[in-house]
Amino acid sequence: MTSRKLILLVLAIVLVLGSLPASAQDEEINMTMWVRSIPFQTQALVDEWNASNDSQIELTVIPSAEFVTKMGAAIAAGEPPDIASIDLIYTPAFAAAGQLVDITDFVKELPYADTLTPAHMALGMYEGRNYAVPTGVDGSFIVYNIDLFEQAGLDPDNPPTTWDEMLDAMRAIDALGDEVYGYWFSMNCAGCNAFTFLPFIWASGGDVLSDDYAEATITSDPIVRDALAFYNTIWEEGLVPEGASIDNGSNFVSAFTGGNIGMAGMGNFAIPLFTNDHPDLNFDVFHIPGKEGGAASFGGGDVIAIASGSQHVEEAWRFIEWTMSDEAQIEIYAANGQIPVRLELVNNPYFEGDERQMTAASALAVGFTPYTTVYNDLFNDPNGPWLEMLQVAILDGDIDGAIELGQERFTQIMEG
Amino acid sequence: MNLSWTQRRKLTGLLFVMPTVAFVTVFFIIPLIMTVYMSFHDWPLFGERAYTGLENYQELSKDRQYLKSLDFTFRYTALVTPPIFILGFILASLVRHNIPYIGIFRTIFFLPVVIGLGVSSLLWTWMLDDRIGIFNKILLDFHLVPKAQLFLGRPNTAMNVIILSVVWKTVGFTMILLLAGLQAIPDELYESAEVDGAGYFRKLFYITLPLMRRTIALALILSVIGSVLSFDQFYIMTRGGPRNSTISIVFWIFNNSFTYFKMGYGAAMSIVLLAILVALTGLQLYVLREKE
Repeated sequence: MTSRKLILLVLAIVLVLGSLPASAQDEEINMTMWVRSIPFQTQALVDEWNASNDSQIELTVIPSAEFVTKMGAAIAAGEPPDIASIDLIYTPAFAAAGQLVDITDFVKELPYADTLTPAHMALGMYEGRNYAVPTGVDGSFIVYNIDLFEQAGLDPDNPPTTWDEMLDAMRAIDALGDEVYGYWFSMNCAGCNAFTFLPFIWASGGDVLSDDYAEATITSDPIVRDALAFYNTIWEEGLVPEGASIDNGSNFVSAFTGGNIGMAGMGNFAIPLFTNDHPDLNFDVFHIPGKEGGAASFGGGDVIAIASGSQHVEEAWRFIEWTMSDEAQIEIYAANGQIPVRLELVNNPYFEGDERQMTAASALAVGFTPYTTVYNDLFNDPNGPWLEMLQVAILDGDIDGAIELGQERFTQIMEG
Repeated sequence: MNLSWTQRRKLTGLLFVMPTVAFVTVFFIIPLIMTVYMSFHDWPLFGERAYTGLENYQELSKDRQYLKSLDFTFRYTALVTPPIFILGFILASLVRHNIPYIGIFRTIFFLPVVIGLGVSSLLWTWMLDDRIGIFNKILLDFHLVPKAQLFLGRPNTAMNVIILSVVWKTVGFTMILLLAGLQAIPDELYESAEVDGAGYFRKLFYITLPLMRRTIALALILSVIGSVLSFDQFYIMTRGGPRNSTISIVFWIFNNSFTYFKMGYGAAMSIVLLAILVALTGLQLYVLREKE
């Protein structure tokens, strides 16, 4: 019996020791921050903050496609990061589940609250309260290779404004050679195509969801079918490289930098990458057109929020507020080619005279972002209905089957 | 304490099994009870929970992907098991006798087993790549294909190349199990059979296979359970694609639990899968039982 008591004693000691704080005298504030793998200026922000502040932030980059899964698991395990830079479309879901700190009172104090990008602020709201503020602003548009346009006899100053004009331009560029292609899409990447393909539908006045987000309109809105047929033509005619059909997004940005792709759907985040790493790439951008004209853009990007349970809410907000300051917005964002999150700062010394930046920034004016708590399940999930519908319609050519399937699976998810 | 010899003997026995009992309780029985409990609830990964009775189970029959995944998983198991066994048996026969340097070959055949399945899946993904993969390089150099093949991008080839990679990865383990069974058969039996004029196939069907019944049962059960529970290779090599054609049942449970945050529903699927596995294992044990 004594041995049993001994074991109990040892267990008790282990339990007590294990529950003590690691180091009680440690007064330094160490915060953790998560960001998805997208090249916003987050690393630069954190480096600058750590260099000039007592509190330190440890940044972890999570693969974009796994962000929701990892964040969900971390929350469930009771160990979320203090600060999270979240793809704005996920904010309603996290806020609805009570996993983000209500920052309404902080936001009220901001003198520039009214000029923060509206799409991000809207997505950061839940039931009238603020849970997040913008940190990475990203509209989608089409980027095109000026050199290839010229070689193909197209006028780079008058880029396409309809789907037919886009197809004609792709065919002309594609004819330049075996290794030259008119277009690029990453057809095994769900999120890439929500970002760059949905706006084709929106610009034509259509949508895949009803205005109140209560039901799917895939079969009822004829534009959805037309848009799928448009992309199917691109695939059928071989205007994209075959590898595009299986690209999971790892070449979403880099494919265009090879110089043999005429056009591609892209976002603001890529512009600094192109200008800094590929100075020889002669490119410009135009708005994503509708079938017969018009323009639309996916108002994407990241918002920044504090996770419920953080022990450092005040300090985390101090960091977030600093990321929106003139200093950070101009000297870190704009200086690196990143669009500021405060609209009045778009006219800054770094952007002056850069037509591309101004066009890209103006995409935000036609930017739109769906507000639904099941966004990930509908659109971004690699096994979700959105990507399956696109692949069946565009790659397999079964457009009718695809929209039936999409409608059914969308409805299933939206009905919960 | 004064204990009699029998009492002490019993106590010793109890102490010996205690670690295992504790381990099984903490890592199997308690999670199992929790899973059953969760399966009766609407249990999001975070947020409010609610008791829903059998709703999760009723929903299963309406879940098209669940049925598709069950079908896929059993088709995969049926396709991957025979090659593992036949090849495992051939390899075991080859390395059976203790001749010089045989250890080198046993090691080579067993080596893939030691690599993690995640690592081997990544390795194969790169080898199968259409731009930088070694397979396409070889096929193109020998003019066996006109252009680079997207092995993992086509529903018909994706399954085949994944099976190829899994056979490579797991055949060594089956080989080792079968090797142990083979070596346990006394040589005298073969010698006397030879004296009686038995050829290779007679020896195989009348001596080797009957005496290896238990070993084969063990290897088969481990292999089938492993295949039914497969996840890593599909998650890494195809992400369930193309067109969601390679979503195994565990993959679908993972998606529902951790991507759609429907833990209760995932738990219900797990319980049904457990029942299926118990039935399947019982069936295998019955078929391969020792006949009195």
